[in-house]
Amino acid sequence: MRIVNPTFGIEPASEGTATAAPVDWLNDPMILFSNNKPNAKELLEGVRQRLSAIRRIDNIDYIAKPSASQPAPAETLNDVVRKYRIALLALGD
Amino acid sequence: MPDAEVLDIPDMDPDAWADYVEQQGWTDGLPLVPPTEAAVARMVEGARGDNEPVPPITPRLMTPTIRSLAANAVMAGCRPEYFPVVLAALRGVLVADYNLHGTLATTHSCAPMVMINGPLRKTLNVNCGSNCFGQGWRANAAIGRALQLILNNVGGAKPAVMDRLTFGSPAKYTFCFGENEEESPFAPYHVRQGFAADESVATVISSEPNHNLNDHGSTSGIDLLTTFAGGIASPAANNISAKGPFFIVFGPEHAATLARDNWTVEAIQQFLFDKARVPLSEVSAENRYRYETGGNFPENGAFKVAPTPEDIHVAVAGGPGKHSAWIPSFGGTAAISVRIKPPAAA
Amino acid sequence: MRKRGLAGVVIATETFRPLVLAQARARKLEPHLIVVKHPVGGLNAAELEERIEAAFAGLKLEMGV
Repeated sequence: MRIVNPTFGIEPASEGTATAAPVDWLNDPMILFSNNKPNAKELLEGVRQRLSAIRRIDNIDYIAKPSASQPAPAETLNDVVRKYRIALLALGD
Repeated sequence: MPDAEVLDIPDMDPDAWADYVEQQGWTDGLPLVPPTEAAVARMVEGARGDNEPVPPITPRLMTPTIRSLAANAVMAGCRPEYFPVVLAALRGVLVADYNLHGTLATTHSCAPMVMINGPLRKTLNVNCGSNCFGQGWRANAAIGRALQLILNNVGGAKPAVMDRLTFGSPAKYTFCFGENEEESPFAPYHVRQGFAADESVATVISSEPNHNLNDHGSTSGIDLLTTFAGGIASPAANNISAKGPFFIVFGPEHAATLARDNWTVEAIQQFLFDKARVPLSEVSAENRYRYETGGNFPENGAFKVAPTPEDIHVAVAGGPGKHSAWIPSFGGTAAISVRIKPPAAA
Repeated sequence: MRKRGLAGVVIATETFRPLVLAQARARKLEPHLIVVKHPVGGLNAAELEERIEAAFAGLKLEMGV
């Protein structure tokens, strides 16, 4: 029998695989981005503390989504993209 | 996952078909109607003239075709005339404020609730009365099921893999009902949202199933609302942490008592907003910290369960009995109402 | 963020690994994912130390140090 595929969909137009420009992991500004779930901040703070042994940390900042259940506001993302070169996101749960 | 729109598969008996759809990962666990080309064509005809594109569906982000959507409606057991309701509900969950991705990635037990308003409820025999959240009505069962199958199959929200709910919920099979406009003393929900009374509308929100609010004893509106405020002020509901909207659905008998005592929808919303509070004594220090970092601060020693009175959505449904229903939401979601497009004349 | 030029690395628990990878695939992104044991929430400070160590080890691999 011929059936219509219930999973069928059209893929979004390919923009190629996105890759970030090379970064200086030891010096570039970095943002620690929490999804605002319990312990996500503590996890990131712990990583930041350990990073102090191998890179400068005076340009590592912390931010959290306002709500764990909702996407980060566009203005927050714009701000992050403008100010930092590296983002470490914690999806605590 | 096959990538052609039409699949040529061997003829098979119902048992083999049930095994096949299970192997493909297409089913919610119950048997499905085969989406033959002919059946899908009839379903598509049910939405004749609806050429508005449907956006990509998370998490796969594939753009569906009207035929792949119709295939899911066929599999769910829909009649062709249900299909415009399925499409309206789907468009609702794809509105950004509904937060479909968040509702699928969460571990909370949420599912898309669909409430139907307007004349189509009667045309399609949508149950708005006794047992409206339950079994026994094809329209209620199939419309909600079709929406869920679309999210599973086109969206790719496979349970326990991409759909991460800790428990899931019976509402994941279907959660669709109609407002009991005929027995409501209030203006129909969709009219209060700005639609015309003769329009049909599907309203969606990411919610838990209904929680019963029992009050057989109270004889006044204020006493009923006092009971309900206590019932919905829960320190363990998502609404306290995520601050989102929720529904309260009055049974017709409770609604009649409220109306007799001159309670308007707005006054009910304000009363519940003011009185349904969770005292700090019921909230752990860790949770208080969490809610406050999320912007939900206590007022007068208690947490709110909705951001504003308008986030308490009021409807009337069900049949005889001294019961109402609280439908807590995911929190980070919104109630979205979408007009159902009647099929164009042939 | 990666599409906008940031070097993005995600720390997720093993439970959410399939979801993160599927999201990356759907967006045609090469995933940079550090997987730690589930859960992270609900752990006390001592229990969380193991997750921090695992995340830091994964980050050092990403950094090439």
